Amino acid sequence: MSFWLTCLGMLAVTFGSRLAGLLVRMRLPPFWLRFLHFVPIAVFAALVTPSVEGPRGEGGIRVAAAALAGVVAWRTRHLAATIAVGLAAFWLLRLL
Amino acid sequence: MMPLWLGVAPFAFAYAVLARNTGLSLVETQALSLLVFAGSAQVSAVGLFGRGAGGLEVVLTTFLLNVRHVLYGMSLGRVVPMTRRERLIGAYLLTDEAYGVSVARGARSFPFVLGTEVSLFLVWNATTLVGALVGGVIPDPERLGVDFVFPVAFIALLVPLLRLRVEVAVAIAAGVTAWLLARWAPGGLPVLGAGVSGALLGAWLTR
Repeated sequence: MSFWLTCLGMLAVTFGSRLAGLLVRMRLPPFWLRFLHFVPIAVFAALVTPSVEGPRGEGGIRVAAAALAGVVAWRTRHLAATIAVGLAAFWLLRLL
Repeated sequence: MMPLWLGVAPFAFAYAVLARNTGLSLVETQALSLLVFAGSAQVSAVGLFGRGAGGLEVVLTTFLLNVRHVLYGMSLGRVVPMTRRERLIGAYLLTDEAYGVSVARGARSFPFVLGTEVSLFLVWNATTLVGALVGGVIPDPERLGVDFVFPVAFIALLVPLLRLRVEVAVAIAAGVTAWLLARWAPGGLPVLGAGVSGALLGAWLTR
């Protein structure tokens, strides 16, 4: 699928979800309400693990820097600080 | 609103730099911010493009991530009276942040909701443009390890969501599942599979 077709598909499912809640009167069963609550948790976790190791044999330091970023995220809940510390740790560890 | 703008700006910047280094053009990078306007879905899409995922996998993951907006719409539609046209515009610009602020500040009128949404849209797109320009001139992104921004950005999104033990358990289960699936399944399937099964596990564990 080309980029623009993919982009249109993303637009359709995103705008569709946003509009559905505002237009349609409905009640979701409790099970699916809880399912939706867990979706970001599961998807974000699933995006982290396959990409932490990286393709260039730097797995060890990448995992260490990611763990440090996790601690910063846990302590500060601050997105920019987490990314900054994670990257800084990664570059520092590479220099060692 | 200020803290919120300061929150989304670095995320839009990181998204745009990643998008450019995954091979998206300036126009494509900006188009996702203008047309889709959903931060975590945009970063996921870029990461999935980088893994060689197909368009269908990207669209399905976007759907999985954004279908929660149905809930925001239902909740907002109950407290803020809107005409049909206002619903269309309001829905196009609806995000986690706009919903959160509108509800937290007790928004009762459409102009308040719209003001919040438009300001976030402008900040998101302006910062996307800056990031896309910067991302295009980073000399040797491979050597810098720019792709490492990707897992770190999702750690930054994930960790604040983990308050209960069951949420930590779901995150670990989904993370391990995706990591194992990625050994043999290409593209976006590991994320979709681990995302759906993880969320099912969470809903089942809290029954």
